[in-house]
Amino acid sequence: MRTSRSLAALALVALVAAACGGSPRPVGSGAFQISKDTPPAKGPVDSVTWSLYGEPQSLDYAYAFDYPPNTVLANVCEQLQRITPDLKMQPGLAVASSAPDAKRWVYTIRPGVRFHDGTTLTADDVVASLQRHLDPKIGSYWISAFTNVASVEKTGPMQVTVHLKKPDQLFNEEMGTSAGTVESAATLNRAGRSYGTPDGGVNCTGPYTLDKWQKGQSITLKRFDGYWDASLKPKAATVRNVFIQDPSTRVNSMLSGEVDGGYLIPMSGFAKLRNAPNGKLYFGPNTTAVSLIPTNLKGTLGDVRVRKALSMALDRPGIIKAAAGGVATPAKAPGATGAWGIAPEAAKGYYAKLPEPAHDVAGAKQLVQQAGATGKKLVMTTSTVAPEIGVIANAVQAAARSIGLNVELRSVAPDAYSALFSDPKARSGVDLMMTTWYDSTPDPLEFYGILQTGNFSNYGGYSNPAYDKLVDQANTQPNPAARAAVVARLQQIAVDEMVWIPLYEVPHSLFLNRKVTGAPTGITQLMYPWAAMLGSAG
Amino acid sequence: MTAVPFQKRALLRRLHGGDALQTAALIVLVLVVLVAVLAPWIAPYDPNGLDLSAALGGASGDHLLGTDESGRDVLSRLVYGARSGLLGPLVVVAVSTALGALVGVAAAWCGGLVDAVLSRAMDLVFALPGLLLAIVLVAVFGPGLTAPTVAMSIAYVPYVGRLVRNVAVQETTRPYIQSYRVQGWSGWTICLRHLVPNIAPLVLAQSAMNFGYALMDLAALSFLGFGVQPPAADWGAMINNGANALLQGAALPALAPGAAIVVAVVAFGIVGEGVADRVAKREA
Repeated sequence: MRTSRSLAALALVALVAAACGGSPRPVGSGAFQISKDTPPAKGPVDSVTWSLYGEPQSLDYAYAFDYPPNTVLANVCEQLQRITPDLKMQPGLAVASSAPDAKRWVYTIRPGVRFHDGTTLTADDVVASLQRHLDPKIGSYWISAFTNVASVEKTGPMQVTVHLKKPDQLFNEEMGTSAGTVESAATLNRAGRSYGTPDGGVNCTGPYTLDKWQKGQSITLKRFDGYWDASLKPKAATVRNVFIQDPSTRVNSMLSGEVDGGYLIPMSGFAKLRNAPNGKLYFGPNTTAVSLIPTNLKGTLGDVRVRKALSMALDRPGIIKAAAGGVATPAKAPGATGAWGIAPEAAKGYYAKLPEPAHDVAGAKQLVQQAGATGKKLVMTTSTVAPEIGVIANAVQAAARSIGLNVELRSVAPDAYSALFSDPKARSGVDLMMTTWYDSTPDPLEFYGILQTGNFSNYGGYSNPAYDKLVDQANTQPNPAARAAVVARLQQIAVDEMVWIPLYEVPHSLFLNRKVTGAPTGITQLMYPWAAMLGSAG
Repeated sequence: MTAVPFQKRALLRRLHGGDALQTAALIVLVLVVLVAVLAPWIAPYDPNGLDLSAALGGASGDHLLGTDESGRDVLSRLVYGARSGLLGPLVVVAVSTALGALVGVAAAWCGGLVDAVLSRAMDLVFALPGLLLAIVLVAVFGPGLTAPTVAMSIAYVPYVGRLVRNVAVQETTRPYIQSYRVQGWSGWTICLRHLVPNIAPLVLAQSAMNFGYALMDLAALSFLGFGVQPPAADWGAMINNGANALLQGAALPALAPGAAIVVAVVAFGIVGEGVADRVAKREA
């Protein structure tokens, strides 16, 4: 009966909190400002303790498809390309990349780069690392980036050529994400199935090495003194990433100084952290949009009228207030505006042409009736992994009820919620799930490309030949502006057909206590070695 | 050997003053039951009615206990939450009492190998944490009220069974049982007509306290997301949802269901203890 006592204790804690906590405050946190960066670090620091909302299931780059593993790996492993905090492409482990023709990408490997075990980076390592994504036994979560890849070949001691089945401009940009991560071929061979686990570890080229992984507690990174890039020499000797799943505990650990900072601040902590005497809350550039994903387009949501009706029934301002604390903007499209780094100005024009999301319950009810879907049941997943999931699920259920649809909420454990995005079996029987979806590259084709027929992340199984053709067309355009123009047409189709139901866009969030500074504020911290910039504030 | 809750009897006796407290506890229980039964008529709002623009509103004339993170009326959800809060434990207590009494009496009456096997079986179930069993069943049958209730019903059998077995063993040595045997009454008849009625008050006292513990266990499972599913109102789930609001200065969404659980469990404990005391006095 230990848990029973714990519950009673929790209730008593709640009682005490009520006595001490004062009166309730409004949810909305009002306006927010985007900070592009934090003040640069002034000096070294011995150690930094960082909060992660969950423990990575693996540190294998092939499975790094979520915030916790990417936040860690961004400092440990590197890619052929580098995506900078201002969403620009830079040479990474490939000192040069070129496309001699539309079906080839040739990468010249940076000389003098060493892995954490002291061995030198060669073309063999690049080939071995990229080929893993093509191996069905591995089951890489980044397989979409390799859809058009025919083979990966070493064409020189320090040169690798990727042969394509058809033109793929996005591939080169995806080489700045986990898809382009380079690991030591010897380590991959030696570790086998244990690669990326607490036992097998990783051996990359990043500014930090994986020092210790205490299962269920923390991952400690140690400065790599042999790091090749002098401009990103780490200032913190160690970075201890602690797993704190409970949002309240995470916020309180920041307020108490137990941790020095963290990304992805829970909405419920915005108000307290904004007024924290021991640190500062930042909102940074983001490529993230919160959407509903119809995961079964063969069911009731297969009818575009039902999807539109559900969208029209949603109270977006109310959802933003309750689920995001007011720190968000309504979204017109499922691909975030911040993800148009290749043509930011043109993107504004494309976005302006999209219809504003309407809130029209009567019209939505009519659409449901026309579709013959009145009374039909939909299953939507919900989870305690993030408070906003429950709020949005409740809002969707209420909205659906108001237009004659019956949404049944299915609660899943936090791990099971992550599995929804990687395991088709986990989505069995599910019609709808909420996502906080971020793009890793500055190219909007990354998002709109996933709605192509057969894509790994095309969770609903959307299939439209005209759409597929446009994705291919965009992939043939080396000119960013021309490519963006084609993607704008994809955006229009995705919105017209409501393939995903957009809700709102959120800024990235970061808390730093007064002792440390320098970390980038934006979403690119998932690809860029953010910890290397972190150092003493004064 | 008595079940664990009985070991707290002395402590509970020190904590309450006597009949007045028991009467108050009984009144509280009656009120809780009435609230659960009359929920559709007394709840001021639809417990699942959302008003996102009013999320985490404080106590007011419109919402006496404020609103939760989705703008739902906390009082209405508290009132409706009493239904699952009482229904689950009721089933747990009914099933575990019936099975426990059956197993306990059978072990005491038959003795020998039957007693040894049944007692060890109860030890085995007793050693298995009820919450763990519930989580396993939820993994197999899915979350909801059913799987945790079934698991807890099984887990609580030894609490009743061991008590019944020990009391029944003493009872079977009494002269009246021997007289019935001499008169040629069958074992079934003696057990059903005389043995069970004689130990029933003690079992009732244990069951009253078990009710409170089952209420807490089921609330804990809902708190963890294994029990009653959203958007249904449930005290345990309400504490979980409300916990995040504590950071935002809104305590009532977590406090109100937490307090309801504490009050209900304490009331059941006091009433159960009162019954046990009366039985003890009668036997003395």
